[in-house]
Amino acid sequence: MFVNKKFHYLTLILMLILVSTMNMFGADSSKILSETSEAVEPNILMVLPFLILLMLIATGPLFYKHFWERNYPKISILLGLITVVYYLYVLKDSYSILHIFTEYVSFIALLSSLFVASGGILIKVDKEATPFVNVLFLLFGAVIANVIGTTGASMLLIRPFIKMNKDRIKPYHIIFFIFIVSNVGGALTPIGDPPLFIGFLRGVPFFWVFVNVWHIWIPTILAILLAFYFVDRRNKTGEDKIAKIDYSGTIEFRGGKNLIYLAGIILAVFIDPNVMSWVPSLSPLPIGIREIIMFGIVYLSYKNAHPDILKANEFDFEPIKEVAYLFIGIFLTMVPALQLIANFAKSNHDLLDATTFYWATGILSAVLDNTPTYMNFLSAAMGKFYLDVNVQSQVLEFVSKDDVFLRAISVSAVFFGAMTYIGNGPNFMVKSISERAGIQMPSFFAYVFKYAIPILLPIYVIVWLIFF
Amino acid sequence: MSTISEILKKKKNGLYYYNRVILPFNGYLLKIIIEDNILTDFSPTSKHIYVKEEDGFMSIYFKEYRHLEEEVSKYEAIKIVIVEKDKDIFDLKNHRKLALYPGENHELKIEATDDDILFIE
Repeated sequence: MFVNKKFHYLTLILMLILVSTMNMFGADSSKILSETSEAVEPNILMVLPFLILLMLIATGPLFYKHFWERNYPKISILLGLITVVYYLYVLKDSYSILHIFTEYVSFIALLSSLFVASGGILIKVDKEATPFVNVLFLLFGAVIANVIGTTGASMLLIRPFIKMNKDRIKPYHIIFFIFIVSNVGGALTPIGDPPLFIGFLRGVPFFWVFVNVWHIWIPTILAILLAFYFVDRRNKTGEDKIAKIDYSGTIEFRGGKNLIYLAGIILAVFIDPNVMSWVPSLSPLPIGIREIIMFGIVYLSYKNAHPDILKANEFDFEPIKEVAYLFIGIFLTMVPALQLIANFAKSNHDLLDATTFYWATGILSAVLDNTPTYMNFLSAAMGKFYLDVNVQSQVLEFVSKDDVFLRAISVSAVFFGAMTYIGNGPNFMVKSISERAGIQMPSFFAYVFKYAIPILLPIYVIVWLIFF
Repeated sequence: MSTISEILKKKKNGLYYYNRVILPFNGYLLKIIIEDNILTDFSPTSKHIYVKEEDGFMSIYFKEYRHLEEEVSKYEAIKIVIVEKDKDIFDLKNHRKLALYPGENHELKIEATDDDILFIE
């Protein structure tokens, strides 16, 4: 892309500040956490870098695309640095920054490993893409998202989905794919979507989500699929051309060895000191054994991938680089916003009910990253019962006490990630791959106002009315 | 002047220098995809692209790029939809989809896109 190499210096500065932070405070970070998270509240003006970044992400590709494409890494890192400097030198709070940076590293390790490993797999489906076949395909994607994550499923299935529909493809195909495979589908297991994974690491039992959410997942998925079916049925594009094609009905699968890498990533998810006590913690380093394994898989799966498959997939690191640069800014700049929200929630927890948790988590998950949003509202919900989210046994106690709050937070964190391109990591990647295939995708606002609000919001309102 | 079919058959390469691509044939451009940019405005006032027809070849200047070699990655293609000069532009059968791969020594590999490559016209 248009990235000037000078911005690497900015990244380096950011890393140096973080490393120096570790040296300064790493020895007793838990103490700092308790002191800062309770006592120090950021100035409300510090939400500005986050709002500016969100505004630029929304308007950049639309109104000043060239400038944005050249400068988004620098802008994202610079805005992130403002927050870092404020926390380190004004609030004297290194923990919040290190903590969010650690979550960012985990987030990027998971996304990049799934992205690269699935990029070495080529699936070719030689079957006519009728609305019904598309519905089955998307349903399969929704189910598989719970096994290889929404990122893995999106990367694996978006290309065959576009190829299947190549003579009749429209932007809505991609948008429904984002709704179902990249977001809502992954609501059944902690592997499905990062917020559920974080909940699992904090002590929510692995099968809790499945047992408590399946009855919400099924009607929601069916409702979105039904909406897709009716939209897709009206699409008569390319009918003449399609009628002349003799489909074999076969599915070709190449790059099978990368399934081993995908399995490795899924196994690595559990290699965490909080899950397996024998796993060493590398704290205060912002990386663990799991992340090292995942980054190792990035290297191995790319190095060993077949060049013909990479060429057919037009494999390029740009989509994951874009996510990495934008999300370092998003993760860092949203720290003050999340702390203000958490503090508000804690001091007003008696006023908070399942409805509030559902909508507040949902709306914020749509414009912030859903993982820290989930964490903060989980913390606030546990605060209602005077329980601490940092203590695993208390998370278990909370789950057994009254699970409606956790259900509301889990469902809305995952579901509302589909409301914008920035709601969930894979959304941007799917958009980028589709544009590289020649599909003109809607702008940020068109996505929200033309598709997400009219299609998803009524479904989410019904979910709220019935279940919360 | 060679036709697109002849160029593909002979596996003849084009050239590129910085942001300029030189194709060894003439034709009517309909669409270009470079990275995630979809370009369809080939008018002289286009901010993104400038197309120059010359005797026996054509040049495409990507105004927003500096070095195509650095900005288009190894497995990525610049994709174009083009119609052979003097052929009927309105007959969809004449729309050729080509993938251009910037390589070493300024050489630009030209291939007809196969079914594997995602390319929606």
